[in-house]
Amino acid sequence: MSSRSPAGIVEQLGGLEVVVCAGSGGVGKTTVSAALGLAMVAELDRRVLVLTVDPARRLATALGLGRMGAEPVPVPAARLRKAGIQPKGEMVAAMLDMKSAWDLMVERHSPTRESAERILANRFYQGISNAFVGSQDWMAMETLYELHAGREYDTVVIDTPPSRNALDFLEAPNRLSDFVGARLLSWLAGPSRLGWRAINVAAAPFARMADRLIGAEVLGELAAFVREIQGLYGGVQERAAEVYDLLRSPQTGFVVVTTLEPEPFAEAEFFCARLRDYRMPLRAVAVNRVLPTALGDPSGAAAATALVEDREVAAWMSAELGEQVRPETARRLGEAHLILHRLAERQDRQLSRLGSLGRVPVVRLPLAEREVVDIEGLAQLVGWFRDGTG
Amino acid sequence: MLCVEVDAKGDLARALGASASSFQPKVVQPNVSVLGLHAEESLQEYLRIYFKVPRFTRLTPLAKVFEFIATGLPGTSDMLVIGKIAYEAKRTDGGRPVWDLIIVDSAATGHVLPQLGAARAMMDLARGGIVRSQVEWIDAILSDPRRSLLTICALPEEMPVSEALDLHDRVKAETTIGLGACFLNRVFPVGVTARQLHALEELCAEPHLDAARERLGGDPRPVLEGDRLAQRLHDTGAAHARRLRAGMSVPVVEIPLQTTARPGLSTTRAVAAALRAASS
Repeated sequence: MSSRSPAGIVEQLGGLEVVVCAGSGGVGKTTVSAALGLAMVAELDRRVLVLTVDPARRLATALGLGRMGAEPVPVPAARLRKAGIQPKGEMVAAMLDMKSAWDLMVERHSPTRESAERILANRFYQGISNAFVGSQDWMAMETLYELHAGREYDTVVIDTPPSRNALDFLEAPNRLSDFVGARLLSWLAGPSRLGWRAINVAAAPFARMADRLIGAEVLGELAAFVREIQGLYGGVQERAAEVYDLLRSPQTGFVVVTTLEPEPFAEAEFFCARLRDYRMPLRAVAVNRVLPTALGDPSGAAAATALVEDREVAAWMSAELGEQVRPETARRLGEAHLILHRLAERQDRQLSRLGSLGRVPVVRLPLAEREVVDIEGLAQLVGWFRDGTG
Repeated sequence: MLCVEVDAKGDLARALGASASSFQPKVVQPNVSVLGLHAEESLQEYLRIYFKVPRFTRLTPLAKVFEFIATGLPGTSDMLVIGKIAYEAKRTDGGRPVWDLIIVDSAATGHVLPQLGAARAMMDLARGGIVRSQVEWIDAILSDPRRSLLTICALPEEMPVSEALDLHDRVKAETTIGLGACFLNRVFPVGVTARQLHALEELCAEPHLDAARERLGGDPRPVLEGDRLAQRLHDTGAAHARRLRAGMSVPVVEIPLQTTARPGLSTTRAVAAALRAASS
């Protein structure tokens, strides 16, 4: 890991067109994305869109907005000033609307208006677009591409979907292309023209199995659906290539977000390695919820241990301070510190492994003095992006 | 007992003292087995059981078709995950259920409802064939509170608690799945009052600091910094626990923060002891 100070990281990331914040679930990606967006508009005259795809609507709460939807919502400058940020730029927030994103994709890539309408009316399509979240990563990439292509924003910061596998969205464009292309399912699209009996010899056992599985009537409907979505193939394949080009572009940067807890850190290591495999540019690592270094101080631990173990210490404190200090008070003061000291020691071991993530700037975001639940909380973090201080 | 992890990353297996999970249940502790779910393997097993399709290698064209179905089609992997769990719940050996209890480490909060609703979604799509009858029994298992319960886990922070409450409300409004309990994990276990903190503040100030250093054999100022943070963590944790209890229709069980050097069996045992203590 570079010893470079994170000073200048806001300018570096804010100069990009797309910033992808990635990491495993629960590390505070949404908070970091929103704080990074705020840091950008505080420092730069840029129009920054922060797009969250989190269905729990975390960003909406954190930004003090009501209900976000598909339409981007500007964060009022007066609201930022109230939180102590003098914005040079403009911040806009948006949330992925899955259903709209699917419908737009179909309309965009269908060869004809009629074909789009048939797909939109198909119950398989409605089931897929309404009920299943396996498609969330796909739509996040589609929406990111559209927002970038629209050129309304200087920088789009995207908070990746909540997932146990942070890699899912990297695979998303290809999976979407495979899904609608699905040459392997051509056998399924064929029978309505030739009849099931005419299906080729190689596919026949598979077709019989599918027939037994879901029934002839549904199979016919599914075939019609597959036939229609194959019409999307050209457009979607082209789009997948464009999305990968965008993600590999010098105008794009990945920020891997992690905490120093062992599991998310291990996932961050894996993710950084895969970014290298994909030739996608890692620009920074944001380590969230870092404990103050003072907590690891052995001298403090020695004092805390004495507060817990020295049976005479409360009496000594009473005499020294001229007021009664109960043994329970001394014990609690020591115990509470020692819990945090043990966590700080564990954290220090992880910090020594930061180099495994890559030679990029590291932004350390402290465990905030107050919980980050509103724009004031986010504002606390802005200074840590700007110059590594609160 | 069978512990199932739905993403097969191995975290659950490691927490139970094993190196990794696999698709075949592996005994990791006395009476405890662990299973890691893979959508593709679930599909292969399904086809083997119901269609006598032999296991095929990844290189065959048929394998590519099934790999596509298992991982490429939206929703299929959710269905395969839920289907495999329901299959294990139904499996018997000599007339007795193979497992007394199955505990599933499910998808992230945002994913769990669609995953649990996959059988219902599939029922809407498939009106006939084997799949229809199978998703019906899967749905019956999930909807029977004597057989399946969903427990919600949260951390004592604003957003996770909001998500837990949101999930609770949506489960009640949108599903037929019963709720069991809510676990509030990593609760800071030691509270420090303002009065107690004040005593330490005085000790860290002149004219007491030098005497305190000497008496305590160390610097009390880092202790003060830690205790201020501890006070914040404990008090906000208590506030979140109150908020959860006010919004949940099920018991909220607090699990104290563990400080073991690294996650693994020792942490799991400590959490298990905390759960036992909470339920006694």
